[in-house]
Amino acid sequence: MARDTSMLSVEFYGLPALLAGRRRVEATAPTLRALVQVLAERFPALLGTVIDPSEGWLNRGYVFVVDGRFTRDPETELRPGTEVLLVAAQAGGVR
Amino acid sequence: MHGVHGRALVVDLASGTAQPFPIPDDVFRRVLGGTGLATWLLLRFAPPRVDPQSPANPFVLATGPFIGTGLTTSSKLAIATTSPQTGFIGDSLTSSYFALVLRRTGFDALVLLGQAPDWSVLLVEDDRVSLRPAHDLLGLDPEETAGRLRAEFGRDLRVAAIGRAGERLVRFAAVVNDGRLAGRTGPGAVLGTKRLKAIAIRGTGRFPPVADPAAVARAARRLAERSLGPETAKYRELGTVANLVFFSRLGVLPTRNFAAGSFPAAETLAGERLATAHRADRQACAACTVGCEHHFRTTDDGPATTVRLEYESLFALGSLCGIDDPNVVLRAAALCDRYGMDAISAGGTVAWAMECVERGIALPGDPAEWPRFGDGRSLLRTLEAIGERRSPLGDLLAEGSRRAADIVGQGSHAWAMHVKGLELPGYHPRKLRAMALGFAVTPRGACHNRTSAYEIDFSERAGDEVDRIALATARSEDRSAVLDALPLCKFLRHCFDDFFAEAAELLRLVTGLAESAEELRTAGERIVTLKKLFNLRQGWTRADDTLPERLLGPDGIDPAELEALVAAYYRIRGWTPDGLVPITRLHELGIDPLLVPTTSGC
Repeated sequence: MARDTSMLSVEFYGLPALLAGRRRVEATAPTLRALVQVLAERFPALLGTVIDPSEGWLNRGYVFVVDGRFTRDPETELRPGTEVLLVAAQAGGVR
Repeated sequence: MHGVHGRALVVDLASGTAQPFPIPDDVFRRVLGGTGLATWLLLRFAPPRVDPQSPANPFVLATGPFIGTGLTTSSKLAIATTSPQTGFIGDSLTSSYFALVLRRTGFDALVLLGQAPDWSVLLVEDDRVSLRPAHDLLGLDPEETAGRLRAEFGRDLRVAAIGRAGERLVRFAAVVNDGRLAGRTGPGAVLGTKRLKAIAIRGTGRFPPVADPAAVARAARRLAERSLGPETAKYRELGTVANLVFFSRLGVLPTRNFAAGSFPAAETLAGERLATAHRADRQACAACTVGCEHHFRTTDDGPATTVRLEYESLFALGSLCGIDDPNVVLRAAALCDRYGMDAISAGGTVAWAMECVERGIALPGDPAEWPRFGDGRSLLRTLEAIGERRSPLGDLLAEGSRRAADIVGQGSHAWAMHVKGLELPGYHPRKLRAMALGFAVTPRGACHNRTSAYEIDFSERAGDEVDRIALATARSEDRSAVLDALPLCKFLRHCFDDFFAEAAELLRLVTGLAESAEELRTAGERIVTLKKLFNLRQGWTRADDTLPERLLGPDGIDPAELEALVAAYYRIRGWTPDGLVPITRLHELGIDPLLVPTTSGC
């Protein structure tokens, strides 16, 4: 089946994958901060461990990879077709 | 100074006697303890250009000031010797009870010199040493050895032992204690050379008093709470095996002897899959609240096996050898543990042999026995042959990939994936510039633990200019050196807001030393430089700080860029363009007082 190019491809790795129970989802969101809200609603298991509910943002130790670039900037703009990976920073960190 | 005993026990294995050796406070102030202390003692007791396989090669076990304080993850033992793989410094860390018990003997470190007259167990009971004949233990695996000795001498005894690989001087043999391996750089082969099957320790004394016991207890509680936060959840819930499929996605998973950076069958070895289909239990080292050690069980029809698995053993015995069956990887990891072998070097050496076979280059022995990519049975058979040094093939591969390529020739050095003789861990440098630099310059050879430079590559700093990458790599090495010296586990590193400042405060509470954050960072640089000095004395040259031929070019890093990174790193370290350490730099770092001329040539 052809992929919907108006959507973002979001892939989970490590603990986020284990908690979400899947490797890949599609979503729409204009920024990473908005994407975190979408993921929090669809996968409540991410709240607490991966997403800080009070901040509405990733806990320290988790990072996005947006089209191959590591970032924790919540204002990172996302466009349809963008590839987003969410991973625990055991494979590195941003600090 | 609080938090240390101020002395080492120096053991002459030839006579089975020991003498205390004083360690001035100033040494602890400059190198802290752990790996720093072990490096200093190695420099102090090793003759220049010592042959790693000669009795003159010292074997040092050292503790650090945080051990026994209640600070979580601090029960780590530092080992330093001359590596049979590299000929340079071989420093390796292992965790758990052995370090605690050594600390209670009243000594900060053990220095083993010479060679036992026959196969022996070194028994250390506080300040008394003796040699117990070990012929009845030969052939046993490390766990069996420890079990026999604890049954004989008491359960309060802790044992560090070698397996058959160490007995047979496999160059990447490990020292095993409490189920943990000090494997990298082959310390087990040095114990084998010394004819020591095991070191058994009973310490009945107290830990050295800390400067501010109440404040240390409070700090320990706070650190334990932080260690249970989201920063370490990944280690508790899944472990490092989670890296594999993500690394494959990024194209940095070493596959088929680094010929590729992605493994088509990565999902079959995914940590998430192992956690659901193979998980057995989870354990923690002594005095650790993180509990990162995940055990997995086989699910096939073969004998049931349960084994600890980390990302490094998963990649080295999996994708690196083209193996996609998790049961084979688990059995291979269990074999490495049983023989007492470093899984990274074992997998790396077998992968080199697999590529020889793929290229039609003859190896010794029966061609039907040669290992082949993707062939699990041949992997297991070859690991057994190495551990036993059985057959010409096992004997060849027990030498490691660099020496095996020396022997086989025919251009096979081109795919011997090592730096300074130490096989590469699971980071393909093709897209990792900082890690490429870290692999090239770190004194113990290709290593992911003495530099966490991959953190730079896996961050927003990945595209930084050369000087900034080199600076961040050097600072990453400094931080690792401090962690290994205090010691604290690297899995805690994200629990600190300002590592050097907070670690300096912990050091003050334990020892009374009022070091600033920058002074503590400098201690890390001092330790890295001491290791470098040891290598220089062993004959290091600029040509040693490079990468395997395969990784210099389109499949790795542009050679000119690596040269630029190494040159920038040397500048930042204050070294010459040839990588030598000027006397003035030794003064600046406060290293010169540590280099006392001795009769052993230090």
